[in-house]
Amino acid sequence: MSSQEDGAAEPGPETVEPSNSSNDNDATTGDIISVTIGATVPTGFEHTAAEEVKEKIGVDARISKDRGRIYFPITTDKLFQVHRLRSVDNLFVVVEEYDSYQFKESKEETLMELQQLASTLPWTNALEVWKLNRTFKKKKGYRKGGNGTKGKPKSEAPDATVADTEQQELPQTTSTEENQTEESVPEAESDTQDSVEAAPGAKLIKFRVTCNRAGDKHSFSSNEAARDFGGAVQEFFQWKADMTKFDIEVLLNIHNSEVVIGIALTEESLHRRNISHFGPTTLRSTLCYGMLRLCKPQPSDIILDPMCGTGAIPLEGAIEFNSSFYIAGDNYDMAVNRTVNNICHIQKRRADKGSISGLPIDTVRWDLCSLPMRTSSVDIIITDMPFGKRMGSRKKNWDLYPSCLREMARVCRPGSGKAVLLTQDKKCFSKAISRMGGLWKKLYTVWVNVGGLHAGVYLLKRTEALFGQTPEDVYESREAVSARGDEKADKEIS
Amino acid sequence: MKLLTHNMLTSHVKGVIKGYPLLIKATEVKMNEVEFNPQFVSRMIPKLEWSALVQAADELGQRQDLPSEVVPDYEKDEEFLKKVHRLLLEVEVIEGCLQCPESGREFPISRGIPNMLLSEDEA
Repeated sequence: MSSQEDGAAEPGPETVEPSNSSNDNDATTGDIISVTIGATVPTGFEHTAAEEVKEKIGVDARISKDRGRIYFPITTDKLFQVHRLRSVDNLFVVVEEYDSYQFKESKEETLMELQQLASTLPWTNALEVWKLNRTFKKKKGYRKGGNGTKGKPKSEAPDATVADTEQQELPQTTSTEENQTEESVPEAESDTQDSVEAAPGAKLIKFRVTCNRAGDKHSFSSNEAARDFGGAVQEFFQWKADMTKFDIEVLLNIHNSEVVIGIALTEESLHRRNISHFGPTTLRSTLCYGMLRLCKPQPSDIILDPMCGTGAIPLEGAIEFNSSFYIAGDNYDMAVNRTVNNICHIQKRRADKGSISGLPIDTVRWDLCSLPMRTSSVDIIITDMPFGKRMGSRKKNWDLYPSCLREMARVCRPGSGKAVLLTQDKKCFSKAISRMGGLWKKLYTVWVNVGGLHAGVYLLKRTEALFGQTPEDVYESREAVSARGDEKADKEIS
Repeated sequence: MKLLTHNMLTSHVKGVIKGYPLLIKATEVKMNEVEFNPQFVSRMIPKLEWSALVQAADELGQRQDLPSEVVPDYEKDEEFLKKVHRLLLEVEVIEGCLQCPESGREFPISRGIPNMLLSEDEA
């Protein structure tokens, strides 16, 4: 896994363009240019994302100090490959990067400098890449800003002065908040803009600026930066500012003294791609993908999600790691129905494209503390365990965690089996795991952010010990075991 | 419900010793095409309870000429692997039930989903 956090990346050889009118032309030289791509990924999964980039694009990715972002170089002939990445939420092309930008003392000076910056940046290559990227997409017309993703909480105001800001959750909504002041940019210029068109027949380009700012030493807010920088960009290019129907989204990312200016390549966040039927706690697909990569599914692995909810994790697995077999289960009837609906939706989509539609996945309704599965039949268990806050309650978790960890140990193959478990109730989980050293060994933990809540993804290894023979499961599970009618354990106790 | 899943499901009714394999009573079965991956099938075969697969195929009238024992050198026998692939992944029980061989308890299958929940006194 690569995590090179060295100095500022060079975006590639390019010259500063004082005049921009040529940018609106469709004529491309056809030359291959090299640019830096930035990607936002679920916090905590930067390394798995970098792994995926290495695997699918063949380059080393750099992990930013600003969590949840990675950067990698690419040439335009390979650009289409970025859309195969499953661990990224959003993609952008870097216009310019500053590793240690020296902000001026006062707000006025700082904002003035940002305005001046707009006309000096090396926009050309980034705009070429933006144009090229558009050709990969279906004609959708204007993009919409502020797309709400259902069932997720609103994130906090992005320009909070704490260093720790979580932008990735709702990038669209965040930017809408950011750009309320965009509307104050004078509309009176529209006449002038029309007459200063680049080339006859060229469409007037609409844009907006999104600013994400984190750090406690800045004299300005993200709104102010977006407004002033945006104003200067508009001056320079003679584009029209439009918050909801824009062609180009310019990104201004400021994290302490790291400043990155980019142009977005993704229209809507990719993290909801598989799910058409949401539930209250549906995990985004990029997070599911990250969890799946962690457990490295092998051909013919039987992979279980015993608390599948809407089936987000096993469905992502059935699509991306399709040489394994997935069994999704839940005790709640709405959950299993939604899972089946989501599976059918994807299969129909595949059939419509003319592909073989069937996916290696099945759904069962069950009680995870008493799984109707043969002992030692499962290779990997991967699931999102109920969080105290949004589903279930803390009190329930005290009882739930030990019994389900035990049942999962029973069905999991000794020695080779693994589990990848996401939970926010870290205290309860750690306590439950510490009592099961005979069955589960903690390999490592990835700290992530899910809907504004801090959670842990625990990677566990199933020990060699056969179930029913370790001291913990023989003694502690006496009641539960005899209730399940497990005669073997009963014999050992007596 | 696919037969690969069925191969791993077992009855967990209290007191039952031999709850495997579950008997299948199907009222609606569908075929669903799934891409053939020979490596998947050949690695899966050792993980299966072969006799349970044969029994399930018989119950659904889908056995065709599936042998009652796994053929030797099956890794290279593509015809054989394709038959197994079809049974494991492409045959789907949409409506019906699974029955515990010992207690007779029936678990309904609806929309392809078996409902394995037990009532309080059964668990």
